[in-house]
Order: sequence, then C-alpha cells, then structure tokens
Amino acid sequence: MRFSGFDENFDVIVIGAGHAGCEAASAAARMGAQTALVTLSLDTIGQMSCNPAVGGIAKGHLVREIDALGGIMGRVIDRTGIQFRLLNRSRGPAVRAPRAQADRSLYRAEMRRTLEATPNLHLRQGLVIDLIVEDGKVRGVELQDTRRFHAKAVVVATGTFLNGLIHTGKRTYTAGRAGEPASIELAESLKRLGFPVGRLKTGTPPRLDGRTIDWSVFEPQPADERPVPFSFATESIDQPQVTCYIGYTNERVHQTIRANIHESPLYSGQIKGVGPRYCPSIEDKVVKFPDKNRHQLFLEPEGYDTYEVYLNGFSTSMPAELQQELVHQVKGLEEARIIRPGYAIEYDFVDPRELTPFLETTRLRGLFFAGQINGTTGYEEAACQGLIAGINAALFVRGEPLFRLHREESYIGVLIDDLIHYGVDEPYRMFTSRSENRLALRYDTADARLAPHGRRLGLLGDEDWERFNRRRERLAKLRAVIEGTRFKRSDAVHAELSLRLNQNLGDAISLAQLAQRPNVHPELIYELLPAETRAQTSLSDLETVLADIIYSGYIDAQRATNERIHQHDYLRIPPDFNYRAISGLSREMVERLERARPETFGQARRVPGMTHGALATLLVHLKLRRAA
Amino acid sequence: MQASDTIVAVSTPPGRGGIGIVRLSGRQALDLARKLLCKEDFAPEPNRVSLHVLRDPETGEELDRALVTYFQAPRSFTGEDVIEFSCHGSPVLLLQIVDALLRLGARAAEPGEFTLRALANGKLNLSQAEAIRDLIEARTAAAARQAARQLGGELSATLQPLKDALLELIVPLESSLEFVEDDLPDLEIERLSARLSDLVRRMDELAATFRAGRLLKDGLKATLVGRPNVGKSSIFNALLKQDRAIVTDLPGTTRDALSEMINLEGIPVLLTDTAGVRDSADAIERMGIERTRRAIADADLLLVVVDGSEPLTAEDRELILEVAQSRHLMVANKCDLAGFSLGRLRETVANGAEIIAVSARTGQGLEDLRRAVLRSCSAPESATDSLLLTNARHYDLLRRASDALATAQRLLQERASEELVLVGLYDALRYLGEITGETTPEEILTQIFSTFCIGK
Repeated sequence: MRFSGFDENFDVIVIGAGHAGCEAASAAARMGAQTALVTLSLDTIGQMSCNPAVGGIAKGHLVREIDALGGIMGRVIDRTGIQFRLLNRSRGPAVRAPRAQADRSLYRAEMRRTLEATPNLHLRQGLVIDLIVEDGKVRGVELQDTRRFHAKAVVVATGTFLNGLIHTGKRTYTAGRAGEPASIELAESLKRLGFPVGRLKTGTPPRLDGRTIDWSVFEPQPADERPVPFSFATESIDQPQVTCYIGYTNERVHQTIRANIHESPLYSGQIKGVGPRYCPSIEDKVVKFPDKNRHQLFLEPEGYDTYEVYLNGFSTSMPAELQQELVHQVKGLEEARIIRPGYAIEYDFVDPRELTPFLETTRLRGLFFAGQINGTTGYEEAACQGLIAGINAALFVRGEPLFRLHREESYIGVLIDDLIHYGVDEPYRMFTSRSENRLALRYDTADARLAPHGRRLGLLGDEDWERFNRRRERLAKLRAVIEGTRFKRSDAVHAELSLRLNQNLGDAISLAQLAQRPNVHPELIYELLPAETRAQTSLSDLETVLADIIYSGYIDAQRATNERIHQHDYLRIPPDFNYRAISGLSREMVERLERARPETFGQARRVPGMTHGALATLLVHLKLRRAA
Repeated sequence: MQASDTIVAVSTPPGRGGIGIVRLSGRQALDLARKLLCKEDFAPEPNRVSLHVLRDPETGEELDRALVTYFQAPRSFTGEDVIEFSCHGSPVLLLQIVDALLRLGARAAEPGEFTLRALANGKLNLSQAEAIRDLIEARTAAAARQAARQLGGELSATLQPLKDALLELIVPLESSLEFVEDDLPDLEIERLSARLSDLVRRMDELAATFRAGRLLKDGLKATLVGRPNVGKSSIFNALLKQDRAIVTDLPGTTRDALSEMINLEGIPVLLTDTAGVRDSADAIERMGIERTRRAIADADLLLVVVDGSEPLTAEDRELILEVAQSRHLMVANKCDLAGFSLGRLRETVANGAEIIAVSARTGQGLEDLRRAVLRSCSAPESATDSLLLTNARHYDLLRRASDALATAQRLLQERASEELVLVGLYDALRYLGEITGETTPEEILTQIFSTFCIGK
C-alpha cells in the first residue's frame, strides 16, 4: 500500500555526499547514468569532518590515482588548497607525495559547484531509512519523509553516520558528526539484510579561536614556493598560500591527562570501537609513550576568511572543560579559547570481506559500499572507493562487465584488495609500505598507469586525454635524449664531472648512467641537457624520466623476487577441479573456492578468507596432479 | 573445522616390531573407536593412555589388547580428532585392525595425508612439514634428531631473532619515509649499517652449517678404490660389522651389492666397494673400469687402499695420480704384516696426503680411519649439538637473504634514499619468511606503532 505518489526513478542512487559519495555520484553521472546523490544536508556536501587537509604520503598517491582515472578530488583541492607542500622532497620520487591544507568552506562550495555542473546528476536532500530489495537485488531506497527512489544500483557511502555515537567525557549522544543526526534506521536495515556489522571509532581535536593564540611562540611552516598540484589538469596553483605553525605539548599537559585519565571514555571502557593507531588521541599518546616529554602539534588555519584554527595532534574525547584546561597548559595557548571541542565517534562498519573487487556486495546484486562503511579512514581512501563504486554502479546498470584495479598497478588496487581479503581490525589507512610494488606506484606515474582506464570508461574527456598523450610523448623524447647524450673521456665536461663528483666515470658515460651514480641530483642532469632540450623541459618532467631510469633496475629485481616467491601463481586450476576430493580442506574453504572458481593458484591465494594451510594443501594437490 | 572423512593407517614402519601404531584421524575418529572397542560410552580423557580390548566389529572376536590414546581436536597432530591404537607389532594383526576400521567407515590414508591435514589445519608451517618428511627419511639417529628439532620449530626459532633484528632495521627506515611529518628521532646511518653487518654475519654463519647439515641428512658417499687384493672388501666388511646403520631398508636408498649404509657417529655414510671389478672377462672388465670411474666421480670421499706390506705397483701409482684432484684418504692395509712400512709409503707417495695404517684382519687402525673419514667431511665435533641447515632450499633462501642485505648495506653507505635501501631489507625478510612464515605489512606497521609515537 503506497499513498505517496512522490516516487522518482534513477539508474543509480548514492547515499551520502561525503568524499566517497561525491566521487561515486560524479563518476556514475558522467558515465551516463541518471544518478541521485541523497544527502542529509545539501550544505555539508564534501564536508571535511576532521582535518581540513588532503593528501600526504600514500594518501597523496591515492588522490593522484583518482585524478588519473578521471575523479574530481584532485581538481577540487587544487582550487581550494591554501597551503601546498610536497612531502619527502629530499627522498626518492616513489615516496614523495603532495599534501594540501584546504579552506574547508571553499572546498565544500567548490565540490557542490562541481557536482551541480555535472549532467545527469541530481542532488536530493533526505534521510534514507531503508533499502528496497526484490529477488536478492537492490531496487532503490526509502526515505524518512516517505519518498521512494528507484534505481538498479545503489552506492552506500554513509561515513560515520551509521549508528554514529559521539563521546565527550562521560557524555554520549547519537550523531553522524557534531551537530548532525546519525543514521539509525539504515544501520538496522543493513543488519536485517544479514550484513556482518562491527564497530569502529575515530576522533577529532578541538578547534581554537585564532585571535586568542600567541602565534609568536610557534614555529612557522610555510607553503612550498612552487606548489605541486594534485591534478594532472592543473597548470599551476595561483591562490595565495598561508602558513601553518608547529608547537609542542609539555610535561604539565601530560600530568593533567594522567591525573584525569579516568575522565576519558577511551580509558573508562565506555568506547568499545577500535580506533586508528596512526591517529591516536592525545590521551593515547601520553599513556602509551610515557617517556616522551612532548608531542608535536600543528596549528592549521581552517580557511582564508575564518579565525578558526584546527589543533592537529590533539585529538581527544576528554570532557569539554578539561579540554579547555589542557589547551591552556600548552605554551602559546595560555589564552586560547576553544570554539568546538574535540570528540570521539563510534560508528558501524560492514566487514569488507563481503565485497567483490568491484566493491559490490556479495549479498545483494547492484548494492555497492564505499568509504568508512568498509572500515577505512581518510578522505582519500573514501574518495577512491567512491570512484570505483560509482564506476561499477554505472557499468552494472548498463549490464557491462565491472571494473577493477589490481594491486600491482595502483594503491587503489592495494586498498581494495587488502580490504576484501583481510578485512579490518581498525580503521584502514593507506601506507606506501602496504604495496609490494612501491617503487612503481609513484605519484608522478599515476597518469601512465591509470589514464588509459579512465579514458576507456569515459571519465577522461578529450582535453585530458590529449594532455596525457602530450606528456607521454614529451617524456619519451626526453628519455631518448638522456639515454643518448654521452660524455667521452676526451670531452671537457667529462673531466669536470669526474672532479666535481670525485668518481671514476669510465671512458664514456651517458646522462642516464650518470643519473644512477650516488650524489647526482636531477638539477645536475638538467644543467647537462643539450640547450635545445633544456629549453623545452620542466624539472618535474625530468624528475619523472630520471626516476623511471633509476628505479627500473630495482623494479626488475623486485619483480624477479616477487615471481620467485609467488612462482606458483600461474599454476592453472582446471575448471573441473574437484575441491571436495582434497583431503583436509574444510567445508568452508571448499565453499569459498567453489564460489570463487579461481583459474590459477594466484587467484586462489586471493580468495577472501583462505587460510595458509588450505592454500598449502591446494598447492600440493595441484602439483601432484601436474606430476601425475 | 574438520574434513569430512576419517582416515586410518598403520603409522609405524612396516616389518615386525615390538609395537605397531594404528592412527585414526577425522571427525568420526571417536565414534569409530567406540565401535572397535564395543564400548558405546567410551569417553576418554584427551592425552591419557588407557588399555582396551579391540574387537572385530562383526564377529565380536578379540583382535588385540591395545593402549588407546585420544587427542582432541584441535590439539592433535592433524588438528582433527585423533585416536592412536598402540598394538602388538605383528603386521598381520595391524592390517586386521585397519581392516576393521575400514569396514566401520574409515578411509585408508594416502601417503603423507596425515601431514597434509596437519598442514591444512595450520598445525605445521612449511618448514615443519619438510622436517616431517626428513624425519621419516632420516637414516641415522643424529639426522633424525636434527629433523625432530626442526619439527619442534627450532629452525624457525633460530631464524626468529634474525627476523626481529631485520624488523628493527626496517622500522626506523620505513617510519622516516611514511611518517615524515611526525616528530621522529633522526636516522643514525652508521649504527644501522653496523647492525646490518652483524645481521649478514649471523646469516652467513647459519648458512655455513649447511655442508655439515647436508651430510647429516643425505650422508657422505665414501668409495673404496684400489687394485685387486689390497683388501678393500675386508676393510668394507670390517667397517660394516661395527657401524651398520640403524635403518638400511628404506625405499629410495641406492643400494647394490657393493654399497652399504654405515653410521659414523651420527653421520650416515654410504660406503661403496668397487671390489671384484677386475675379476671378470675383458668386456665386463671394461664395464667395470667405467663403473669405477663413475664411482670415483660420484664420491664425496675416496678411500684409496694400498697394500702397505709391499712396495707400490705401477697400477697403485696410476690410481694415486688419478684421484689427486678428488677428496681422498690413503689407507695402507695389512699393517699387521711384517713387511709393512708406513715410512716407505710416505716416501713413494710423497704428495703429503694423510696415510692411515690399518689392518682389516685384526681391526687395528680402523678407529683412526673412522676419525679420518669424519674429519675429512669437516663435520663439526658436536654435529648433533647445534642446529644445522639440512635443506638445500633453506640454504638457498638464506644465501639470497644475505646477498639482499649486503646490497642494502651498500646503498645505505652511499646514502641512497630509504625506499631503495628498504628493497633489500624487504627481500631478505621475504626470503626468511619463505622458511618461517610471512611477515605481513600489517606486522611491520604494528612494530612501527609500538616503537614510535605516530600520528597527528
């Protein structure tokens, strides 16, 4: 019995307009699907709930990959970033990554503008309370205000809103973010559908009134002089850049925390969810590292037109009045006033081992999950999942094969692969060390790795595609010059270089060989380029080419190691292979293998939930079979 | 989690022995035991031995009185419910018991199936599984002890400190890359480099035990050569009499009429006698020479036997020249005879090779010969005391790990960027992981978070 005629029909519905939801809706719409983006509040689209910053090591890599595939996060932060820095500049290019402080409100506005300018994308405000399910397939969503939206595919990107519970001291209340309602019914609906749900926790620090801070005490951390943009489409960052500041806690702060530790819901047992270890609260830092007499703090402006300052490094769920006392004990913050107190938030997530590499659930066809619901943390981690989920929702609607990225080619692939195989015990954050292939997954090669996928999917427009091809050609030409330019012993340059580097350069040395010598920096190679080439070459292009050259030997060696260690990966499993006949394989393992029907041992190795024992047994049997 | 069927096998070696063990593993093990014991209420305490009468399930006839032990899943060898029947050792009786269990619904285990199940249930890592194979194939008590130690995880335990040391190097390097914005201590390159050297040395030391370890496992091939009638066969038989190996009838042991396994203080030695090769007609003689040549080429050690009571013949000298490039010992037989002179021999041979005077007839000097054989394979005095690498795969992996670390150290010294230094460290970790089990990125992160205060 339906008494509301207010139904709407779409191809794809995205629930939640955070970083995952925005990418999902944008991608699906640009791939031609009529897409509804349903959010609790149109005023908080692209909200940065925590730190107003994008990027960092590994996270910056993710944003580059999103951009290379045709996502929007990189472009939006490039237009709204107020402090750009390239991290690890002194280290090798594989571990360099961009990071930018954002103007929180400009970021929101720019994201909303971007979405509103996207054809086929329909913004809808409302609270989704249930999924409409028919015959094991998702058919749409039901809203609190009785509206029903119908679609063939639904992307759930609800962030911390699922059963969100905020803690400040002993006080708890349901909320999705400070001041916004939680999503309780939808959480119940997912449980009813049988999804295995767990609990995670995250936290945020207090925000201060910048006018009450004694800035002279803190060490300034300026922006880069030449800001490196996130998006391959951005030529340059022209907006004014601001400075952040670094300070420290002290023993007095630590003593106060220790004396009041029972006030922290983290230590009183009130919080059950597991929080991220790399984003510890200040309580955690003090308790777990009692020998450290100070902890680093960053004072980060929230934007151009606000005096609100984010006290990075001071995440806490202590009672508000205690937070104020602790802040006052920090040198330089004696007079500082808290505008918004910090808090911890617990929320539901669904075991991501339920997901396929396409981020589709195995329980309901057409239902995709992205972001914190899958147990991740971070805007970048959320956004990249949103992009993949949005792409696949659109492909699903068209009835086309779904799209996945492999861990060998991208951090996005690593992230999804880790999630669906290993699940999560704590909020999952990307690190470069999670990839076996770190040297090949550089921030400056994201386009070479992923742009062809983006183009094929229809997410990369002609202009982007042409830019990509121009860059590719430029780099190839430059590489040819670097490999072809040689200095013989008879050349004056050769003698000068030998002296300057204090190295034996042999009878002749090419620029490519020179670049692989210790203490040879790209600037030196740049100087040595033929004048004509140098005039057409940017230092960043040169760095990319040199990195390709320098890393190639390591990448080959690493590939050889990987192949040696995973030498059985290519062992084929016959289509009629009878897992039930393998003695010692538990029924659970047999079922998982029968469901996945891996074609090779390598694929079997990655079937979710396979134990080492089961794999060893399978391998022995595959080898026996081959030997027979 | 248990496999669907229950398997049974005699798990002691074939042949008449004091006792024989029938092992039953699987979900129905206890059920089947109840039926075999004709005791519906049989509810044994795990890991306790009790005496029971085993009966034919159809006739009720008594088969044997056996000690029955119940190992409850998952705390058993296979990780499943296991029942072991320690019966009297008659092969016929054991087959009757297995047959009874088969009739009750068990399935005959395939070779190695118990081990496979243990592997599948996560009871063993790969190195332990390999050790089981080695244990089954062990030829001497010392080799068996080595295999047992490996099974006990001693190899893993020996490698663990190396892995830990490696992790301690990875953690600061990785942290400095990954957490550039955190307030971390500066890297102390020289200290890291010194620790890296130390690690390489420890790995090389362990790898160096491989030769001795391999000898323990595979044994030493020692071949007696010499012209006819110098007493090769007598020496062969004399050594055999005292040192016959514990186990000689294992399948896969290369044995012909002229080879026999002996046990020299724990080292299995495959002793080969090339005797009688000259005693036949011409065509066969040529074949015999071929065989001798091959035996010489195959041997780890040649025992060149001469008659010490007579001057060397031209044939003797020819042989001595031929073996000069091989590892060999000179054995001067017949030291009990009047004409014996070690001095004369030394002068004639004059190549500085060790000469051991023996008498196969009286047994004199055999002890010296044994010691010389052991010395020649440079088996450490206490071959059975410290852990030795016995597996070529393990040796190979350790060598590779050590090489990877040496590369990393060079890069560290050149002040190469950390991500390059880390390539070698991770390679080494993965090679070690091939022996002891993988170290996941998650474990490295855990180590980082417990070492440094990370996070803004």
